[in-house]
Amino acid sequence: MTSNQKELSIKPPKQVKKKMPFVEYMKLNWMMFIFLIPAITLVFIFNYIPMSGIVLAFKDFDIFAGDNIFDSIIVSPWVGFQQFHALFADHEVWNAFRNTLIISTYKIVFLFPLPIMLAVMINELRHLAFKKVVQTLLYLPHFLSWVVITALFMQVLGPYGVINNWLKELGFIDRSIAFFGNAKTFRPLLVISAGWKEIGWNAIVYLAAITGINPQLYEAAKMDGANKIQQIAYITIPSITATIAMLFILRLGAILDAGFDQVFNMYNSAVYSTGDIIGTFVYRKGLGEDLNFSFGTAVGLFNSVVALILIVSGNYISSKYFKKGIW
Amino acid sequence: MAKELKFKIKKPTIKQTKADHIFDVINVIILSLLAFSMILPFINLLAVSLSSQVEISSGRVSFWPRGFTDTAYRFVLQESLFWSGMKVSLFVTIVGTVLAMIVTTMAAYPLSRKTFRERKFFMILFIITMVFSGGLVPSYLLVLFLGLRDNIWALILPGLVSTYNMLLIKNYFETLPEEILESAKIDGANEFQIFINIVLPLSLPTMATVALFYAVGFWNAYFGGVLYISTPSKQPLQTYLRGLLALSYIPIHDLPPEIAERLSTDSIRAATVFSATVPILILYPFLQKYFVKGLVVGSDK
Repeated sequence: MTSNQKELSIKPPKQVKKKMPFVEYMKLNWMMFIFLIPAITLVFIFNYIPMSGIVLAFKDFDIFAGDNIFDSIIVSPWVGFQQFHALFADHEVWNAFRNTLIISTYKIVFLFPLPIMLAVMINELRHLAFKKVVQTLLYLPHFLSWVVITALFMQVLGPYGVINNWLKELGFIDRSIAFFGNAKTFRPLLVISAGWKEIGWNAIVYLAAITGINPQLYEAAKMDGANKIQQIAYITIPSITATIAMLFILRLGAILDAGFDQVFNMYNSAVYSTGDIIGTFVYRKGLGEDLNFSFGTAVGLFNSVVALILIVSGNYISSKYFKKGIW
Repeated sequence: MAKELKFKIKKPTIKQTKADHIFDVINVIILSLLAFSMILPFINLLAVSLSSQVEISSGRVSFWPRGFTDTAYRFVLQESLFWSGMKVSLFVTIVGTVLAMIVTTMAAYPLSRKTFRERKFFMILFIITMVFSGGLVPSYLLVLFLGLRDNIWALILPGLVSTYNMLLIKNYFETLPEEILESAKIDGANEFQIFINIVLPLSLPTMATVALFYAVGFWNAYFGGVLYISTPSKQPLQTYLRGLLALSYIPIHDLPPEIAERLSTDSIRAATVFSATVPILILYPFLQKYFVKGLVVGSDK
């Protein structure tokens, strides 16, 4: 009898709880639901209700058709896939879509490797106070808004900015280069400013991964006479390959995110041909200039669906092969 | 034990090779230059904000003020929109962060408890919001429908639940030892008491980190102001700054001409952006460690 009881108590508590009757379970856990009410309510209102708003993409929405906006949505006529036909025929949409992919690809190609290199370099610093100062400065721009960063770059690269002043003094140019108003310089401008803002912050994940490397590996390598470059090539980099691969796949999944806040603050009509991305296009057509709500929703929906597929696939691959995803 | 001892004895005998020394020197130089490049634009901005119009437009100002004048700052500090923007941003940041922390932490707790059977269902409900949204137009129409147009709450309510921030807190809660919570339960504490008296006090550093994330997010938000706020005096500071990006003429009110001619659009913009950013630049070094900590906690779940 006593041995029986012991066995019972050893049983994993999970199994016992699964058999718990509903009333008893609720008695213990009703507060959990109360805890969730505020967040679920907010998410329902501000995330799920707008999701139902995608019906706009299949309607010819007129905001003044009904007594209120909700009524107007119902009253407005269904038009099927008409908005999407217009979307695929619109060369401006394709321009924005192409720009999104190109800008994003540039950012991945040029900016993805930099934080890895930076993390390795920071890790090699031995003077702790110096290391701290370097890190503090490198993380700083991440915390400033794109409005402020844009103002900084507009000053530095503006007609009376440092760069133009120097180029003139050195005799390379006679008149100031309009970096912000030139379709050719706009994409490099986006890549460089995004790199400047996020290089430090993005290095943190790699620094954390490097910290987890067994220090005995380095000790052994030093005894064998490996120099620093060799230690980096044969210990540091191989040890963080999994982290690099995981972040790369997740980054690829987010390829449709070309940086809305950045482009929205930096661009102007002179650089639409190379700088207009899906997000800024949706804003202009849907709200900013045209107030074409249905068309804006349709382009947004198209973008959301493609992004969803990419992000979910990226996360699936990442959690399957690296046991780690965004969630 | 013996092995470790051997290492410790051997370590100092390994001499740094010449190649390593060169590596260190180059490394320090590159990182110094990179770190320095993070503050150079601010120095440039400060120099421009303190320089006179003539010197700026003749291209002589780089990192030191020329034709020193504080006219731009006097102009900014008498701008009522600068101050109203500051007030709106402070209100939105403080109220928004407090509310967001309450809502987010409350939701993170049940999702972290393995005894809560429905946690998976609710998790999915939150995660869906990370990967799919109705898009810009429906969200805009919703705020209109709720009657929040031109209302400061339109800048707060939609940003109260960040699933990412909630996962950070949830992941931290999951690292707390289960036994403590279970023993409190056996002693008769209910979930609310466990949450308030045990879980929260143990999680203060992580909470500080997430609160800072929220605060930075609210402080930096400009787009809500662009979309929903039409009255200039209700616009947050960042939206006001955004308006200055396209500044092409000096918005002179009743400035005497001898002051107006010392001002340039560049110096006004520089002085405004600098005044709006200085509070962050001062606070940042003290808060920096919390940010990094939170990110690291979130990354190793």
